[in-house]
Amino acid sequence: MSINTMERSERQENPRPLRRWASRHGWAFGSVLGGLAIWEIAARGFVNSKLFLASPTQIIAAVGPLWRSGELQMHFYTSALEFILGYGAACILGVALGFLIASSKPCKQALQPWVSGLYATPTVALAPLFILWFGVGIFSKIVVVALLVIFPVIINTETGLRQTPQNLVETVRSFGASRRQIFYMVSLPAALPFIFAGLRLGIGRGLIGVVVAELFGARSGLGQLIQQSAETFNMPALFVGVVVLAVAGIVLTSGFVWLEKRLVPWGQD
Amino acid sequence: MEASAKLAVSGLTKRFGDLEVLRQINTSVGKGEFISIVGPSGCGKTTFLRIVGGLESASGGTVSLDGRVIDGPGRDRGFVFQQDNLLPWRDILSNVGIGSEIAGIRTPEQRALTQHLLELVGLKGFEHYYPRQLSGGMRQRVNLARALAVNPDLLLMDEPFSALDAQTREIMQTELLRIWEEGRKTVLFVTHQIDEAVFLSDRVFVFARRPGRLQEIIDIDLPRPRTLALKRTPEFVALVDRIWKLIEHDVRASVIEENVL
Repeated sequence: MSINTMERSERQENPRPLRRWASRHGWAFGSVLGGLAIWEIAARGFVNSKLFLASPTQIIAAVGPLWRSGELQMHFYTSALEFILGYGAACILGVALGFLIASSKPCKQALQPWVSGLYATPTVALAPLFILWFGVGIFSKIVVVALLVIFPVIINTETGLRQTPQNLVETVRSFGASRRQIFYMVSLPAALPFIFAGLRLGIGRGLIGVVVAELFGARSGLGQLIQQSAETFNMPALFVGVVVLAVAGIVLTSGFVWLEKRLVPWGQD
Repeated sequence: MEASAKLAVSGLTKRFGDLEVLRQINTSVGKGEFISIVGPSGCGKTTFLRIVGGLESASGGTVSLDGRVIDGPGRDRGFVFQQDNLLPWRDILSNVGIGSEIAGIRTPEQRALTQHLLELVGLKGFEHYYPRQLSGGMRQRVNLARALAVNPDLLLMDEPFSALDAQTREIMQTELLRIWEEGRKTVLFVTHQIDEAVFLSDRVFVFARRPGRLQEIIDIDLPRPRTLALKRTPEFVALVDRIWKLIEHDVRASVIEENVL
């Protein structure tokens, strides 16, 4: 009842949709637009060399040929496949290991030093090694992505399960709940917001893994496009690769936030 | 009295390490009685309630319900916690139904009881709201309905209204009596508020501290059903005054101690 009235009054404050949009996003929109304008002016007016800096309009113009030749789709497909397989494997394995560490003391003691140690290590530096071991195909990239994604997932899953609110455990216990029931009714749902946060952190790390691994040697992929463009001083094409990755990162993260709001609405406040 | 005793406590003691929290509690509670437990901080009243609820074990002595010794939580008792402790990921209906879900009961009778209780506590129409959408008073009603939904023989309430503002608390007291009148369950109600204890109860157990013990039992012979107007009668005020005098010394001591710490 009170919730409805609140929503209504908010609407009455800003009756026109355009004005409401402007008041919410106006500054962000203006700032991005201004930044692009400065970039364009700097690239054309001061640097004036495509070898050093491509302007936004030159980047947009470079999309056309890359798309028509099918190159862009091919690179995108390779990178997407590497990301999905590596990220998916890391999520499943990471959540499973997180459960294992949270539920068994010996497992925790045995695995904790590895998890903490490897999480702190910039494992992306090991990418050349994995390419040496597993070849220039997609498998080496999947391994790098999985290695980068898995640790925040393990750690968040474990933390979430460890921080089960004891007052809620006691409540279900007062109704005679078994250990199993306590886990499914309290521990697991209480851990979900933490697990989701770990999965969200993994997105950015996974994208870095894809690109860096491809930089060290690949047949195709957005990282390979960037590498190859840099070697031929094709700055517009290089920036196309970067922009596609940036957009993918933004879309994946905001899609995830959207999903999180629906699946774990209680985790928001 | 002894013949119809619902709850029998004999020689109950509780220690946490060297600290003697409860010493030799002996008492009994009849079926359908409303008992409040008052006392200064640290008198062990909440520990006592938790032992009856099976959430804590006794160091010595026994508590038995209908002749069976209590050795753990069970569906014959419903616990109303100080914080509402609602599961934030469940809507109101499934929060209230959690006791029967734990017991694996999915009968139409159980569903009807759950529905009836929601109506009784004034939350009909809020079945599919989530706890965060409700006010503190509403959440405490859900807390109460959840405990009643297992149809317990004994209702255990641990300062359930202490987190509410003064006006909401008064309303909740009359609401609790209205709900209680329907089934007349046996109730143990722990509170800091003497007037709350007198208003609700048939008898008030006054606890003392260091060590926690049952100091005195006060009979409240005020007519039922009771309304808030009762709180302004001289009889009521006299009872509150009498209990306050019993615990005043202990309360002052505990307040001074807390300030020193």
